[in-house]
Amino acid sequence: MTKAPLLACRDVVRTFAVRRGLFGRKRSLLAVDGVTLSVERGQVLALVGESGSGKTTLARMLLGLVPPSAGTILFDGEPLDAVDRRVLTRRVQPVFQDPYSSLNPRRTVARIVAFPLEIHGIGTADERRRRVADLLDMVGLPARVTHSHPHQLSGGQRQRVAIARALAINPDLLICDEPTSALDISVQAQILNLLQSLRADLGLTYVLISHDLAVVDHMADRVAVMYLGRIVEEGPAERVLRAPRHPYTRALLASELTPDPTLGLPDPGLSGEFPDPLDPPAGCRFHPRCPMASDVCRREPPAVRTDGDGRAECHFAA
Amino acid sequence: MTMPLLEVEGLRVTIDGPAGTLRAVDGVGFSVGRGETLCLVGESGCGKSLTALAAMRLLPRAARMTADRLAFDGLDLTSLPERALADLRGRRMAMIFQDPMTALNPVHTVGDQLVEVFDRHRLGSRAEGRDRAVRLLERTGVRPAAERMGQYPHQLSGGLRQRVMIAMALMGDPELLIADEPTTALDVTIQAQILRLLRELQREFALGLLLITHNLGIVARVADRVAVMYAGRVVETGTPSEVLGDPRHPYTRGLLSCLPGAGRGPRGSRLGAIPGVVPSLVGPVDGCLFRNRCGEAEADCATTAAEAPRTLAPGRIVRCLKAGVTA
Repeated sequence: MTKAPLLACRDVVRTFAVRRGLFGRKRSLLAVDGVTLSVERGQVLALVGESGSGKTTLARMLLGLVPPSAGTILFDGEPLDAVDRRVLTRRVQPVFQDPYSSLNPRRTVARIVAFPLEIHGIGTADERRRRVADLLDMVGLPARVTHSHPHQLSGGQRQRVAIARALAINPDLLICDEPTSALDISVQAQILNLLQSLRADLGLTYVLISHDLAVVDHMADRVAVMYLGRIVEEGPAERVLRAPRHPYTRALLASELTPDPTLGLPDPGLSGEFPDPLDPPAGCRFHPRCPMASDVCRREPPAVRTDGDGRAECHFAA
Repeated sequence: MTMPLLEVEGLRVTIDGPAGTLRAVDGVGFSVGRGETLCLVGESGCGKSLTALAAMRLLPRAARMTADRLAFDGLDLTSLPERALADLRGRRMAMIFQDPMTALNPVHTVGDQLVEVFDRHRLGSRAEGRDRAVRLLERTGVRPAAERMGQYPHQLSGGLRQRVMIAMALMGDPELLIADEPTTALDVTIQAQILRLLRELQREFALGLLLITHNLGIVARVADRVAVMYAGRVVETGTPSEVLGDPRHPYTRGLLSCLPGAGRGPRGSRLGAIPGVVPSLVGPVDGCLFRNRCGEAEADCATTAAEAPRTLAPGRIVRCLKAGVTA
């Protein structure tokens, strides 16, 4: 009865060699450090965390754009490096934050959306034309934009084009990296509604990367919180967002500015700045900013503490 | 009542283009008092940033501005010569932007840039300038301040750069601070810290603060008064509890219904949406500019009467024909 999750990561690590300055020696940056997680079919998993947390590097590995330095990623039960690249791109597609930079400005909407079909040699020219028309309709774009160029479209329309292109070859999984961060509130609402209805209609699975907890709360079934390359808390959205167990998750939630005029400005209670990823703190990586930090946190990295369907990496997690 | 620090009435900014004249800001009015925070909120293209630039008389060359009144502490900014404006800017009125890198010079140290403001306005000796710079960096949390003075902007994190820009804005001991999306590029925990800092400084320095944002959460948490902008016009003003708790303009109501998040209906439920797009602001426009997207629009909404602001209570102004009727 247990079917393999659509996507599973086990102890995934990614390091980058970086050089500080012209004559600095090469050092190793641990962008993703031992990530284990799985995404079930039809689910929305949200990856949250601040800049430098490693969420985008993880997303690039899930897309097969960057190989892991260690660990395994299984797609539909098969190791990612064993899956043919062409097969993988047919089944996993990205949607990026800035549709303007991800759409070729010299191509028309029709050519942009048909491009994946051409690459994969799917259908005749006529069939592709019909498929493009269907896709544009599916993402709520009027037929008149078919021959427009990206610069003639609004930000929301461009993101719809990017989604249509991602859907062209019937993928199972969309990796959405901050898909609405560059959009206005009213346009964001339209795109989130579109992503929800596409998920229901096509049975899609999403990995949603977002720094906006309101968006995550609205969309996600499960939430994974990343800090300095590690997943510090993961579990059902309801639980992570309503009863967080990790102090970092609590700080993120406390920082959220809900539009409630009866509340003042929150104090996230974090000391210091985000640490240098080239020189991560010993022990628990969060300890220099953590309001609860004690000696054990400075000394030892916390073990994963599972509790039912959720887990947290904190010495004090209940 | 004392005179407001910044008074804006009937502000218009137009930009000539090949297709005609764009009415980017179309009769905007508001005021900011000493020690008061006014949030100008709206979506891209609504004219909020041009309004801020117009108040600083920093509009791009292509833009033309007229105003029935644009005054800082009683001084008519529309007729002030550029020299006098340059004396005001950076001293009595300062501005900070979304991206500190556009305002900070990458080839000068933090200290030199702060002291330069002091020098330019001949506020004291160089030593006094350095003293003030160190004190302000310390105060804005750029620590250790003495060491940070010698660093270059690229050596600082985004949050620290924003703090440096705030310190730089305070060098001239301003009375008015205009902040255009000051935390939009920052992580959420840093955003909350920067907003807290701005509010503390505002109280310490009795600053009038004009805060431009697209974020209704920021409006709710920091504003004393709010002006909602749409298509170059202010469509609704009031306190945050009035505007967010009892919105009277259909656009404000629409915006609020678009917000995802806890307590806003079950997870995954459809968000409200504002149908259609902002109308073209090129060429003459008339009537309510929201009517093509408004579920309550009627024939009257196309008339000039629909443009008129209606005052529901002091400071509570709504540009909607039905504002007095609907609850």
